[in-house]
Amino acid sequence: MKKTMKAVVCLAMCAVLLFALTACGGSKTAVKSIGINQYGEHASLDNCRIGFLQGLKEAGLEEGKDFTVDYQNAGFDDTVNAQIAASFAANNVDMMVAIATPSAVACFSAAEDKDIPVVFSAISDPVSAGLAEGNITGTSDKLPVEAQLDLIRTLQPDAKTIGIIYTTSEANSVSTIAEYQEKAPSYGFTIDAIGVTAQSEVTQAVDTLLSRNVDLLNNLTDNNVVGVLPAILEKTNEAKIPVYGSEVEQVKIGCVAAAGIDYVQLGIQTGKMAARVLKGEITCANLPFETISEYGIYVNSAALAEMGIALPASVAEKAVESNAA
Amino acid sequence: MNVFLDLVAGTLTQGLIYALISYGIFITYKILDFPDLTVDGSFPLGAAVTAVLLTRGAAPWLTLPVAVLIGATAGLCTGLIHVKAGVRDLLAGIITMTALFSINLQLAGSNLTVPRAVDTIFTSRPVMALLGGVPLLYRKLIVSTLLALVIKLILDAYFRTKNGLLLRAVGDNDTLVTTLAVDKGRLKILGLMIANALVALCGCLVCHEQRSFSATMGTGQMVFGLAAVIIGTTIFRRASRVKGTTAAVVGSVIYKAVIQIAISLGLPANLLKLVTAVLFLCILVLGTRQGKGAERRA
Repeated sequence: MKKTMKAVVCLAMCAVLLFALTACGGSKTAVKSIGINQYGEHASLDNCRIGFLQGLKEAGLEEGKDFTVDYQNAGFDDTVNAQIAASFAANNVDMMVAIATPSAVACFSAAEDKDIPVVFSAISDPVSAGLAEGNITGTSDKLPVEAQLDLIRTLQPDAKTIGIIYTTSEANSVSTIAEYQEKAPSYGFTIDAIGVTAQSEVTQAVDTLLSRNVDLLNNLTDNNVVGVLPAILEKTNEAKIPVYGSEVEQVKIGCVAAAGIDYVQLGIQTGKMAARVLKGEITCANLPFETISEYGIYVNSAALAEMGIALPASVAEKAVESNAA
Repeated sequence: MNVFLDLVAGTLTQGLIYALISYGIFITYKILDFPDLTVDGSFPLGAAVTAVLLTRGAAPWLTLPVAVLIGATAGLCTGLIHVKAGVRDLLAGIITMTALFSINLQLAGSNLTVPRAVDTIFTSRPVMALLGGVPLLYRKLIVSTLLALVIKLILDAYFRTKNGLLLRAVGDNDTLVTTLAVDKGRLKILGLMIANALVALCGCLVCHEQRSFSATMGTGQMVFGLAAVIIGTTIFRRASRVKGTTAAVVGSVIYKAVIQIAISLGLPANLLKLVTAVLFLCILVLGTRQGKGAERRA
């Protein structure tokens, strides 16, 4: 019994020491401390973070001199996500930066007590996520749905049905699907959408869509689905059904084309907004969130050729070739 | 120093709120010897109901009993599937958990945030009247300490009643229970109901604390609960007088502290889980070593 107690006390003391050691780092100086909470590692989200730091630099702030960064990612784990946000609040960071919706929700909640400003990025719908008002601002990565439909229509004039796989628990996807269903008819398309709950169901959903003879597949920025994109492409390449991406990274992997936003650019825009707040020019509460309005057209000519799709000159002149191979 | 205190308070709050899951797992895993996977579904269920009620303007405290009732219902389903339909224990839990995923989506969508303007139990009128001057962080700590303590005392008292003793007997020796002319199936169902009521209540409190529900928030909660119970019972294995519920709370706090330490160490973010795993291993090995040393002396 005594020994057990000793062990417990010992462990507790170790924990206290570790805490104390690490907590000292958070002391206040003129250097602004920024806590970045990224929901997980993912090409687009990484680009967003890289862009953010670049944006701060472009605004004239220097890392180490004007600000320090504590970068954490939650590995797509909601509990860790909440704890990262709480530790930023306890460390009295001067600003929380949240990349992806779950991170922003957690940060905004943890920031309530001390009213720490929160800057978010890569959120499709800040209003419905309850992140549009308060000491919070950022950038939205709402997909250019009409531009994408227009692109598909130009490349495949005879296509009728678009197959889309999305995850029912991803808010971004659910709201984008609704927009697709609303806007597809005016471009002469019908949408065949299949909702999945886990990554393991995605390939089954592909088989289902292929068996229903869809003319093409279209991706959203759905983390679950994009995560297994190579497996999807393997099946669709065999069936000679083209897959369209929603941003450049997907085209690099093998999607034929995408009208999407550049996440580095989105990050830069976010970084510049954050810089204004850090310099004290404006507060997050007075700075409304911004939606990126420019989008790029990305094509993978190797994948297009394999599908037998010709690239019209009108698209080719504004498209960026994005072939990783 | 303030930063350090804030970190400790935040971590303790997390550990104490999540202790409700480890109470639940303590009942199913340690007492009933039932690997109950319902947890991954009943936890977000509690949060979903809470988020819906709060955003519709219900009184914050009302969400607690509602979560308890709805969680108990989830446990009842698993119990009936296992006991009455004869489905294996693991699979019975998986079936309920899978069904709950859809039910949660139906109830609250994929995400639901509770705006800052809406009162939670931590900002509700009775709490503000008593603790209005205390910062929110510490108000959360006080309220969650009280809740974890009260529930622990109620559970301890229940385990001393005749019904509670029978429940404890089911896991150890169910033939004994049958010879006492008591239906062991009914006791199992009761245990699952209590456990999942606690888990859903935990989901409810987490929703109050984080002002949000997400459909994926249940993933890994069963693993967390198991780890917390095992850490707690390993540390107190030689201390027979320490109650199982105490071990569950301590285990939960240690688990959350370990994650907090891993975050605070400031290592590359991708190493977080690895560091967590190593720290757990150290705690478990240390705990077991201590036990062995005592045995040798005896």
